[in-house]
Amino acid sequence: MTNKKVISIILGIMCFALTLGICVQVKTIKNTNSTISQNQEANELRDEILRYKERYDNRFKELEEAEKELEKEREEATKNNSELEQAQQTITKGNKITGMTEVTGPGVIITLTDGKGISTSTLNPSQLIVHDLDVLSVVNELINAGAEAISINEQRWVLTTAISCRGNTIDINGERIGAPFVIKAIGLPEYLAGLERVGGYLEYMKEDGVGVNLEKSNSITIPKYSGVIKFQYLQNVEE
Amino acid sequence: MKKGKMTMTITIGIACFALVTVMMMQFKVVNETDITEIENMQEAELKTELANWKTRYEEIDAQYEETTQRIEEYKSDEVSNNEASQLVREELEQTNTLLGLTDVHGEGIVITLKSGEGITAISADDLLIIVNALKFAGAEAISINDERIVNTTDIVDILDGSFIKVNGQRILEPYVIKVIGNQSHMESSVTGNGGKVEELQTLGHTITIEKDNDITIGKYNGKIETKYIE
Repeated sequence: MTNKKVISIILGIMCFALTLGICVQVKTIKNTNSTISQNQEANELRDEILRYKERYDNRFKELEEAEKELEKEREEATKNNSELEQAQQTITKGNKITGMTEVTGPGVIITLTDGKGISTSTLNPSQLIVHDLDVLSVVNELINAGAEAISINEQRWVLTTAISCRGNTIDINGERIGAPFVIKAIGLPEYLAGLERVGGYLEYMKEDGVGVNLEKSNSITIPKYSGVIKFQYLQNVEE
Repeated sequence: MKKGKMTMTITIGIACFALVTVMMMQFKVVNETDITEIENMQEAELKTELANWKTRYEEIDAQYEETTQRIEEYKSDEVSNNEASQLVREELEQTNTLLGLTDVHGEGIVITLKSGEGITAISADDLLIIVNALKFAGAEAISINDERIVNTTDIVDILDGSFIKVNGQRILEPYVIKVIGNQSHMESSVTGNGGKVEELQTLGHTITIEKDNDITIGKYNGKIETKYIE
């Protein structure tokens, strides 16, 4: 008789556990349904991002064309006046320097591929993760070696360009890029190749296991800036 | 009696099996729930990304409108020399502003840095990181000890850190960084947890930040020459 009682209790407990399990499962499945709807929302967001990217790409191409036309019109309008012609040439040259037009010339291409990175005690990893500082230092050294135009993964280095880390990728000109980083620089190739010197930053990175490759080239093309520089707080001092 | 016991055992066995199966299923679903969290994170990121591309499109679109309008103006002004020269002057001024060849003013902050005694002095890299952070926060003009930061500015240590050169010019302490831009954005980009200024302060360097509603930053003093770009 006691035996039967024990078995009944065991069965009761088991039924309870089973019910509990099913209840939990049902609840979780409900959550899974909401996951599916969230996926839909995410997909819609992805679609919308792609639409804007496409609109951006199309407008960007149109802008490039329009700027070429503007240059022609400007040349046309200034050709009979030597003072204006000089101004026109300054604008055209200035646009190349500031990154507003595409440029070509001799230089070097530096490729940085992921390694284990550096971890010196002087750096605060929470502020700047290795990779953004690596790229920043290489750009700084290239400028020091006389680089006239620089791009990082086809993102033109302009006045307002900053390099910031975003998880495993870095953010340049509002665009997210990841390794390998291809840094192009136009200038005297022999000077720029001097970055490989002993004690330079490239050697420092190599020692830390980062893949570093430097190649000289007679013809490098560096694209125009992908964004627009607009000033909100700054004004020219009236002369 | 024997038959009843056997039935009981079988029933218990089936119940156990069912229970284990349910638990296994649940375990699997819980695993999937972890994925759901990643999905949520992605969604927040996607929203940021969408806002980013919207802004970029709008900026490029506005620039396109401006450029086409300018083309029209040049076209209609073909005959008038005066108006053409006005248009060219406007463009020239824009170019010079971007090159850093004009004196500029506006609201911003002034950061003054002085190395602490008996510790490693503030380095070129420290200044480079501060300038980078300010740019990321939207700085519109920056100078260090009146050396204007342009897109071809380098900041380097000379002679193993005995002094720093900006634009090839030697600068001495205290380092005064002037920056024009949104004051609170500028300040928060270098202060706060993980900010370079905070880090340097913790190391024992003396740094002050002052807000100024009208900072003047002088033009780039060097020559901008190019030999290789076409």
